[in-house]
Amino acid sequence: MKKLAFLSWLCLIVISASAQFKIDLIMSSTPPGNLTEWVNRREVLTLLVTGQAGIPPQNLKIKTEIKTTDGTVIGNTDLARASSFAFAGSAPTILTATEVMPMENMVFTGKYKSSLQRTGKLPADNYILCVQLVRPVDFAPASEVKCKSFYLAATQLPVLMKPYNEEVLDAKLAQTAITFRWSPVSPRTTALITYRIQAFEILNKQTPMQALRANQPLLDQEIRGATQYIWQPQMSFIWVQPGDTDGDGTFDPLKTISQQNHGFIWTIQTLDDHGLPVTQTDGNGEARSEPVVFYVKDKVQKQ
Amino acid sequence: MKIKFGLCILLIGWIGTSESFGQDKKPSFSASGTMGVSYEGYGLSRNPSGWLGYTPRKPWNQVRFNFTPTFNFGKNFSLPFNFNFAAIPTNFAGPYAGIKKPNFGQFITNPMNNFGLNPKYKWAELQLGTQYLKYSELSTGDIGIFGAGFDLRPKTYRIKFFTGVSQQGINYFSGPPSVVGAYKRKNWMFQLGKEKEGKYMVAFNFAKGKDVPSSSSPPPLTVKPQEGFVASLMTDLFFNQGWYIKAEGARSIFTKDLNTPLDSSIKNFKPFIDAHSSTVKDYAGQASFGKKSKNFDIGVTGKYLGAGFQTTGYPYLQSDRLDYTINTRFNAWKNKDKTYKMNVVASLGQRVNNVSNTALKAKQFIGNLNWYTQFNDNFSLNVNYNNFGFQTASGINPFGIKNVSNDMGINPTYTWSNSKMVHLLSLSYNYSKYDERDVISGASSSNNTHTVMLNYVPTFLKKNISPDFSVLYFSNSVPGVKIRLMTISSGLSFPAAKKKMRLRGQIQYNNGKLNSFTSSNNFIASCNIDLKLNKKLTWNTYMTTNYFKYGNEIIPNGANYLESNFRTGFQYRFDTKKN
Repeated sequence: MKKLAFLSWLCLIVISASAQFKIDLIMSSTPPGNLTEWVNRREVLTLLVTGQAGIPPQNLKIKTEIKTTDGTVIGNTDLARASSFAFAGSAPTILTATEVMPMENMVFTGKYKSSLQRTGKLPADNYILCVQLVRPVDFAPASEVKCKSFYLAATQLPVLMKPYNEEVLDAKLAQTAITFRWSPVSPRTTALITYRIQAFEILNKQTPMQALRANQPLLDQEIRGATQYIWQPQMSFIWVQPGDTDGDGTFDPLKTISQQNHGFIWTIQTLDDHGLPVTQTDGNGEARSEPVVFYVKDKVQKQ
Repeated sequence: MKIKFGLCILLIGWIGTSESFGQDKKPSFSASGTMGVSYEGYGLSRNPSGWLGYTPRKPWNQVRFNFTPTFNFGKNFSLPFNFNFAAIPTNFAGPYAGIKKPNFGQFITNPMNNFGLNPKYKWAELQLGTQYLKYSELSTGDIGIFGAGFDLRPKTYRIKFFTGVSQQGINYFSGPPSVVGAYKRKNWMFQLGKEKEGKYMVAFNFAKGKDVPSSSSPPPLTVKPQEGFVASLMTDLFFNQGWYIKAEGARSIFTKDLNTPLDSSIKNFKPFIDAHSSTVKDYAGQASFGKKSKNFDIGVTGKYLGAGFQTTGYPYLQSDRLDYTINTRFNAWKNKDKTYKMNVVASLGQRVNNVSNTALKAKQFIGNLNWYTQFNDNFSLNVNYNNFGFQTASGINPFGIKNVSNDMGINPTYTWSNSKMVHLLSLSYNYSKYDERDVISGASSSNNTHTVMLNYVPTFLKKNISPDFSVLYFSNSVPGVKIRLMTISSGLSFPAAKKKMRLRGQIQYNNGKLNSFTSSNNFIASCNIDLKLNKKLTWNTYMTTNYFKYGNEIIPNGANYLESNFRTGFQYRFDTKKN
């Protein structure tokens, strides 16, 4: 009888609390694969908490659970460590991933834990995120539970296909057109991706990476959606370095000069529909693909 | 502080050794190297006035300096300088992108500038200023660091250390023009190993980079302050007859965002790095073995980079992949003089992304072949083939990504001669096919490119002029878009002023057509003048001008531009031993 009374009392608290705070969870269906990146992007996760008019301020904690589609909980908030937030009034309180899913207070299990520790990401799959407000002491529910499904797959930046690494292009062909190809960003999203293609000339006494980080690109073009760009360089590739390579006081034969390669380094920067890099904490933070070097050489003169 | 103290001790030791060799009776001194200055100017005139459809692609003015002498004091002490720097920053990618008015610290650490000094006494080298140090493929190698360190090689031991700054703090600026901003990054690296050249190399490498979160205000919006530490063990073994084995294993501990709180649930690796909630740890490894010889090379290479593997020494490394390739090069079909008529270079490999199952599985097939045959004194043929295929699972889309690029080229060359001249005629045909699958409909679209080029190069045996002529046709078609380009070009090269001057010029006309729009026209003229002022001093000049007029595919109709580029520079080469 006592138990029944206790349960009735508990239900009453839950119902009254739920009535006091209403929560709305807005979440991207394809958030970044790197969970720590969620806090940097407000569009990933927003929790709106609205209290009834006139209720006194309350300190509450946010209980967050990540589940697989079969309902298995793979990660949840360690409520003992989680911070409390004060909610009051009818004006909505807006919270983001920083408050809703602080990674330092999230506890994951099994293979999900090891994947996170190794890569910062969960295995690519469909998941459900559930959020509920709870009281700080007994963790009793203070709001209804709100859940959203999402698909998680780490973004793979484009791989540069053509010109391939250290490919030597014929100078005469290259003066008319150089075809660039790259693989699309994966997974493909509904938002229109912009590929910013950049090609830099490697100047004398420069390493390729120095050229990329220091020079003004000869090619700097934004391509929407497509994965090929035909560049008409409108340049002459006949410039040469000082010709007296053996220091004997005369210029070396033309044959020797024409054997010198002119190097270029190219890369793709992948931008989302807001013009921001699609990945911000993976790799270089600029969402630039691993660059590739190619050369331009007068192949006919060589023979 | 300890590091600075250590370096001071080393420097004092250095001075001591310098003095001791300074007491030699006849210290020989020599200096060799180059120094020079060059100017580059760029001009762009766009019509009609106010049209900005074509943007400048070079700085309007740039002056570059180089000073790379090596001073030798006696047999054992050398003092090489490596000073290369430019007056105007032109950074577009990386931490210095957008910066226009650098402070002193930003100027000396800008990757466009090198200020390096490497005094060396016997097996001990002091490294000062800008250094690009490659310790290994998985630890550090791509990044220039301004700082101090040493490279000691007593007998077969290798002891290397370097510390400095690879980038300065740069404040975010919304623009225009915008500056992305960057955090100041401090780097440390250390190598301990043993090496016998041509026999073996074993070394432990340690590299660390750490951003200073307070170094930029306002901080960058998208870039996060990071910290990374990597430890690796590398071994290279070389055997008889050109056989070799190379391997490296590495582990990285990387904090993707130093602003995230410390996390006691993640194991620290103190004193090198503290664990934050964004800290990840992962492995990488690579191995290769094979044989190199004069007429035959073969090699197998494998590389694994875990999804969480990241190092500040290679900031553009793409992780989460497994590559394996087999490469070969061989000569075949002997001539009477024991040279070979045929040369084949080929590689075959696959790259698998998502080895950690955190992304969609992606596979890439890579195949390259270059087959050159000199059938006789007159006729040669080069055939090349390149395939690159990329495929991923579907994820949330009905169909997965599938992109396949195939390129094939055939290039026969025929030469014939008489007593006055040699004629060379070269034909080149390339076919490129690029298939791409739409992830929603599953339909594949083909993108076909044909390129044909004919070159004619006459060589006059009794004259010094060397002309060349070429005609090129390029066609690219995808459903709904067809591009056609026609190019005619000619070049002429000849020495002048008793071979003290070399002139080379080229003109090129290009006609382009997009679908049914009117043709675009492009004319390029360029010229090189290299003048040897005396045995040590050369003056090199390059000029080019490019006029482009669009068809009616863009608005305003008749838009055109004139672009010009001018480079000139003096280079002084000296060597006191030759005087």
